[in-house]
Amino acid sequence: MDREGAETYLRLLAEAAMRGSLTPAAARAPNASTIMVVGHALTAVGALDPVTAEEILADFRLAVTVRHLHSEADPGTGQAVTVAQWLAQGRPVLRGKPRPAPAPGEGTPGEGTPGNATPGEGADRFVPVGLTMPFLAGAVSGELCLMSFAQTGTGARFIAAWQVHSPALEVQLSHHYPGLIPFDEFTVTDDRGGRYKLDHTPGSDLAWPNMIRLNPAPPGNIRWLDVAPPYRPAVRVALSRGGPHSSDDETQVSVSDAALSAGEHLLVMLAERLLTGTPEFPRRGMLAAPPTSPRQVVAGGFGDIIAALEAADVLSPLSPVPARLATLCASLDLTGHGIAAPPTLDLPEPWLSLLAHYQRRKPEPTQMREGYAALAATLPELDGIRVTLLGLQHTQGSSVLHVLAQGPAPEPRPGPLDIDLNFPLSFWLRESGGRWHAARPDRCHQGDGESAIRLRLVPPLTRPADWVEVQAGGRSAKVRATLPLRWRYLS
Amino acid sequence: MTGVPNGPWFTSLPPCETLVPCGQGQHAVRWEAGELRLASHADLEAELVLVALGGEGARCVEIAEAWLRHAADLTVLGLGPRGEADEVAVSWDDVDAAGQAARGGAGGPGRWGWKLASPPRAAMARAAIRHQQYQEEAGEANQRRLDMLSLLALGTGFQVRLIGQVAAAHADRLDEPDEHGHSIRPALQAALAGRVALVAEQWLGIDPDQVEVSLLPPGAGWGSVELTGRGEQRRLLVSLPAWWLARVWACGLALTGRHLVVAVERAGWPDAQVLALRAPGAEPVSLSAHAAGHPPGAADTPHWEI
Repeated sequence: MDREGAETYLRLLAEAAMRGSLTPAAARAPNASTIMVVGHALTAVGALDPVTAEEILADFRLAVTVRHLHSEADPGTGQAVTVAQWLAQGRPVLRGKPRPAPAPGEGTPGEGTPGNATPGEGADRFVPVGLTMPFLAGAVSGELCLMSFAQTGTGARFIAAWQVHSPALEVQLSHHYPGLIPFDEFTVTDDRGGRYKLDHTPGSDLAWPNMIRLNPAPPGNIRWLDVAPPYRPAVRVALSRGGPHSSDDETQVSVSDAALSAGEHLLVMLAERLLTGTPEFPRRGMLAAPPTSPRQVVAGGFGDIIAALEAADVLSPLSPVPARLATLCASLDLTGHGIAAPPTLDLPEPWLSLLAHYQRRKPEPTQMREGYAALAATLPELDGIRVTLLGLQHTQGSSVLHVLAQGPAPEPRPGPLDIDLNFPLSFWLRESGGRWHAARPDRCHQGDGESAIRLRLVPPLTRPADWVEVQAGGRSAKVRATLPLRWRYLS
Repeated sequence: MTGVPNGPWFTSLPPCETLVPCGQGQHAVRWEAGELRLASHADLEAELVLVALGGEGARCVEIAEAWLRHAADLTVLGLGPRGEADEVAVSWDDVDAAGQAARGGAGGPGRWGWKLASPPRAAMARAAIRHQQYQEEAGEANQRRLDMLSLLALGTGFQVRLIGQVAAAHADRLDEPDEHGHSIRPALQAALAGRVALVAEQWLGIDPDQVEVSLLPPGAGWGSVELTGRGEQRRLLVSLPAWWLARVWACGLALTGRHLVVAVERAGWPDAQVLALRAPGAEPVSLSAHAAGHPPGAADTPHWEI
């Protein structure tokens, strides 16, 4: 990896942008957005440290705006720049400041301190559950659907789906009104008489009530849990591995080499982000994004991103991926991508499947009832990340796959590329009908070396598949896992 | 190409001077032989000590301090002018306004108005540390920007001389990392490329985006200039040392008598001996350059003729 080449490329790009800003007629000159997307790409592959990228952008902005202190209008904002604005723009990007040490007693926000759980009591435990239990709590009724149980060093939780009804509003509320979910009216006991509360995962989004923490965390070797809805008999959840609902044993897994360079892997993730960010069921000719849309801004920087990755020596000039990206842009009506490589017909099968979906003129009729399939299958480690599949859910016309990703996670640095560096994997599902669905990170709860992630399937499932093949791709390898599904439906 | 045998990098630059509002009057600030001189502040060292002890400094003194602080600051290369047509005009009113804005505070995390019903003590402690760190960083960033604004307000002549000073400070030390341990080559190469591209446009009429510039290590000769390809594939490939920025560009010698000056053989003012190219790919020839005074509207920028 050529870090100096990476920084040099970004600085030369800023120079070209600077020159363009001095020549208003230079319509195709790079601008701050280009510097941002290229800087994000270089930091995403580790070729440039984020502070340097931020400094280059900040200095570029200072250089451009200081030249417009007395002009009629700033070309970027359409407004004149005051000296106070010049002074205040950007944020300080000083280096070398040690990060403040965590205050005593302060941990990572997240799962909390395991109660009686003893470290080293055993390996992580993932158990498919597949139990639906009706409940009635005052004026609120519904169903709690336990998809799976996951216990790791950070605690224990159920991955669940909720169906909530209220007399005032006879609609499914699980996504929009999670405050109605009566977590605290459920009681949970284990085989040793230990009692637990169900808790909404702290730190996670209230609109994501799929992670239910057991508080305190139970010991790692309990055999079952009795979960009792308010005023109803308890339902027993067996936690022994290899139980009647275990999916690990039925999972067929194969691993193949991928040997992608860091640049190729990033381009694949960007391509798949484009694929999953395309509006649903557009009319033919309506795929094109407006020039200022994030999708078009990212696509407009592809030529520079590819050149920057080559300069950083993380992408070979002979790589086939840029040509695939060019085809993808053409198929999605994304113009001005600047990719020098000619398009190719050699696209991965999942991309072709999703492109075919986008070319449809009308929505496909759905035969899919709202329901879920319990899962608990851990995939072989990919690039240091271990992914466990914990449930597939289809509600309100949307399909999601719940996973737990364990492994080192980079510090979150959102950027214009809109890719999730906590989950740097290409993730696809092929259902028994043969169609591919991209799995795109939708929500994430991160803490202590693991991330609970909700992956939204694009497009959503349209019929209850008997099985799915999960294809997870990292830089080093690709994993394929075939899992049988047993769907349970909401009432 | 270093200070020997041609003398210091600024030998081909005449002095320049400007008036700066200072106290109740206007004081002359003069650049001469690589240094700032404050005629109205005879005992500059004593005044600097006074400022260091917390006393209020005169603006001239603050400028002299800022000049010293940024005499090797690579940021100067990115902020300063790229060529004659790239005027960076900052007035002393701008500097005053910036100073007032900086004293008014640059905002901070508080403006988002985080509010917790019962914030945990640990989180509060961490937030306080972060806030303090942010304030320190914001203060340093503001100071740096105020410095830059003051230095730019000195005018074009001082701006190009500071660029020359910064380039000269690093030109022989390409392999030495900066204070953060990072290579200085990318910033120097970008600074060189941005300026060579505009000179090449004037020289050959080539699109500046078709000029590719690489940084030559010190001691590797004057470099090379070659033209390749046609149409959109046309490229001017230029390889020059970082010294070119100081000894040639900052001294106003880059394009002299329709020649691209690639090196200075004998520095001097108002006469210098330069190595120059009539066309890309040609062998450089030794030419005598003579300073012909300032062109209209380009005060303090030397103009040379063959």
